[in-house]
Amino acid sequence: MSGRPNGRQRRWRQILRIARWEVTRSAGTIDRRTAIIGLVALLLSGAVFGATAAAGVSGIALDRDIYRVGVAPDSPYYEPVVQSAALSVRPPSEGLTPGGSLDILVRDGQFAVADTQKGEAALAEFRGAVESYNDRRLSREKNQSAAFPVFVDLQYVARDEGFGGSGGAVSVDDGTSSGTTGGTGSSGADAGSSGGSGPGETTGGDRGPSATGGDANSDLPVPDVATGGGGLFGGQTSGSPAAISPPFPFGSLLLAFVFLVPMNFVIQAYGSTILNERINRRGELLLVAPVGPGDIVAGKTLPYVAAMVLVTTAITVAVSVFGGGTAGVVTVLSVFPVALLFLAATFVGAMFARSFKELTFVTVAVSVFLTSYVFVPAIFTNITPIALISPLTLVVRDLQSSGVSLLQYGFSTGPFYLGASVLFLLGLGVYREEDMFTQRPVPLKFLDALDSQIRSKWSMATLSALFIPFVFIAELLAVAILFALPIAVSTPLLLVTIAGVEEVAKSLHVYAGFKHARFPRTLRSALVLGTLSGFGFFVGEKLLAVVQLIGFGDLELGQQLLASAGVGTDVDPLVALGLLLAPLALHTVTTSISAVGATRDRWSYAATVGVATLLHAAYNLTVVTSLV
Amino acid sequence: MSDPRLTIAKRELSVLRKEKTIVLALLIQLFIAAFSSFLVVGLVSLYDPTSVDGYTVDVAVTGDAQDDLLAVTNDQRSIRGLAYPSTDAAMDAFEQRRVDAVLDTAVVDDRVRVAAVAPDSNIRTTLVVVQLRDALRAFERAERADRAASLDTTPLELPPEATTSPYFGFTYTVLIPLLLFLPVFISGSIAVDSITEEFDRGTLELLRVAPVSLVDIVDGKLAAAAVLAPAQAALWILLLRFNGTQVHNVALLLLLVASFSLLVVSVAIGIALATPDRRSAQLMYSLAVLLLFGGTALLPWNPANAIARLAIDSVGTDVLGVVVVYTVVAVVGYVGVRKLTHHVDETSL
Repeated sequence: MSGRPNGRQRRWRQILRIARWEVTRSAGTIDRRTAIIGLVALLLSGAVFGATAAAGVSGIALDRDIYRVGVAPDSPYYEPVVQSAALSVRPPSEGLTPGGSLDILVRDGQFAVADTQKGEAALAEFRGAVESYNDRRLSREKNQSAAFPVFVDLQYVARDEGFGGSGGAVSVDDGTSSGTTGGTGSSGADAGSSGGSGPGETTGGDRGPSATGGDANSDLPVPDVATGGGGLFGGQTSGSPAAISPPFPFGSLLLAFVFLVPMNFVIQAYGSTILNERINRRGELLLVAPVGPGDIVAGKTLPYVAAMVLVTTAITVAVSVFGGGTAGVVTVLSVFPVALLFLAATFVGAMFARSFKELTFVTVAVSVFLTSYVFVPAIFTNITPIALISPLTLVVRDLQSSGVSLLQYGFSTGPFYLGASVLFLLGLGVYREEDMFTQRPVPLKFLDALDSQIRSKWSMATLSALFIPFVFIAELLAVAILFALPIAVSTPLLLVTIAGVEEVAKSLHVYAGFKHARFPRTLRSALVLGTLSGFGFFVGEKLLAVVQLIGFGDLELGQQLLASAGVGTDVDPLVALGLLLAPLALHTVTTSISAVGATRDRWSYAATVGVATLLHAAYNLTVVTSLV
Repeated sequence: MSDPRLTIAKRELSVLRKEKTIVLALLIQLFIAAFSSFLVVGLVSLYDPTSVDGYTVDVAVTGDAQDDLLAVTNDQRSIRGLAYPSTDAAMDAFEQRRVDAVLDTAVVDDRVRVAAVAPDSNIRTTLVVVQLRDALRAFERAERADRAASLDTTPLELPPEATTSPYFGFTYTVLIPLLLFLPVFISGSIAVDSITEEFDRGTLELLRVAPVSLVDIVDGKLAAAAVLAPAQAALWILLLRFNGTQVHNVALLLLLVASFSLLVVSVAIGIALATPDRRSAQLMYSLAVLLLFGGTALLPWNPANAIARLAIDSVGTDVLGVVVVYTVVAVVGYVGVRKLTHHVDETSL
């Protein structure tokens, strides 16, 4: 017993030494010339920003002058058009589009609109411009109660949705809408802050809306119409009707970029240093040293993990200060797994890539996929439980001080931790001489990596289960992409895609095993491996089902995703047992089919996966149509 | 004998083809396009429920100004007002999901206070709130008209409502610029890799033995990278047309993309020559591109806006001027890099 701590200590010291070496070596590559060029670039950009700021340009106007409105300077509609960024003023003589170039023509109080899509879009923009022009003028009016005769208090009240963990209301905090707090303080936020107490209590006490009229009387504040928008992390909830904004957390869009853009720089450097080891056999020295590959990778990764944490912490502090929120440890803890997955994916990419160019594409692909995964659900932060699959939702909640439960943290970050571990494991599998210094296409390397993880036939089950987070991510992305299509098209397409993703995930390592001749290419071993792999996947999927109880059954498409996993609604026990066993049978059968193909060559493997996918999709279709 | 620069450019392109990285690049771009469309279609249906057919919000209306508000909601297309005798009755209906929202009115000091209740933690929240806001704005206009006597200014009459989807504006102002810029960034990144890789593997030394100058090598690599972006841009425009999106002024758009591509690739190669270490070169390149486009985005004639206006066919002389300016800047950048290459000490490579 006494020897182990020492051994562990020595290991740690070695890892730290490699980490230190990595840091000093990286610092060495930045010579004086690089530093000077960097400084020049910074100065130049500063000049660009300064010049534009000096020119008095505020904000980024992508839609500047994209529509053309013909309006005479003496028309009352001249001013609104001038003040609108997207509309450009043209003399009315130019005429509407087929003959002239105008999208809208204003003459004698009449509006003529070009008969094009663009004309209609211009009209919508024009209507909005006139509306806000009216509001701006009226806000200077002396008699404010006549100018803004309607004052709205909006509150969100939770109705019983039937979700276990997340049933509570999300607070829409109205902290940023200046001037309106006086009148609405008492009832505005109550509905939100009562959290998980359920609808009965929320509305039982002060019956919400009726209480508001009484206590706020004489000094109604001037409605905040000039800005129109609400706070950064939630919609505005009181003021004139124009000031009410729906809960669109633009903040999470911003957050996605603020937290993820710096990560791209870190993974670029990290990918380079890993690939550097492989080019010209540089890493060979490290490999022959009395240190395990795991320690080498840990040592080389440590500085980058530290950099990620540092950057994240700095951003968190900055967001708290400038965003006016209360971001803290929870934020850092939520972003950390994202950073880890970024590094893990880059590590695998760098282990597989043949050249720097290939690495660049891999890095771009990694950051695009991860960013979109993190980013989509975050849009719906205040709306739906599906948002919880993204750790950014936790960040937004932390900023709103809504609180994050351990369960929610686990649900959000679990797939990220698991995914990162699996990727590091795969990458480590090929961190050996015969793979590091050979030039092989990425798919073959990938099969090598899978093969290196196979110890016995039971590895099939383990690997299948380990792939679940990736399957989950891939399926969610498929849902996100296909969401845009009409439901009649997206549903069958989605069923096939989901089935395909699962079939590939279940059988790829079986194929890798056969390819490297780990198992005899017989029908019997194909059936055994296929069954085991299907079983492993089944167990993993049931774990996912448990996770589902936390919430995520709101979206119609999401339900189809889960219905195929046997997570139905309330059904009687016998049917439930059937539902439990049916997917097990399905997974083992389809994977066995693919495994039979895998014993031969690439083409028969692809063909059998196709067959298995169709079978799987047909099964899913029956389940979905009979349950939903 | 053919031009060595052409040979080098061909070799660069064939390497890209062999590694199939260009396929990955196109896939990434397709993914981004599909994804941003998803975001917008999703958001549009949230913010503009009229684009979702047959969707109406049922609202319970109670209180002092019940009749006035109901008169307004009856005129609205996608909202239906239902009269309820009391707040409690309305809240009960809300709890039992018979209505989507509650509007409780109270006249205080000649003003109408509306206490609105919308459902929470549901994807419908945004839908409902948008509808409520539209109805309440109409209500505000009606109430304002009743009080017109005590106002100094008469509000302008609004233009008629349009039947359009915000997706139209998004396609031109965000999607098309995004699709046309992404290939440019990627081309620059390829150029950086291509040069630093030669340094790293020491193969530049071998190339130097061949009867070509460093300028030729750089020219060849630059041509290969700079040609890729306009080619991809043309592909995207074709795809968008096939998809039913009209893109105007294709020739000018391609010229603009070619200029950006030339400029960005020149900058990339300049950086790669100055900092042969791939890590710092890529970092500097990312920073430079970020600053270049971040900086120009603040300009009134920013590149994205120029592309949007060309594509949507709102071209004025100013946009044409912008195209000319960016083309000139690109050529100046290219000449600059050639000068820089001449000054690079060839023995130090």
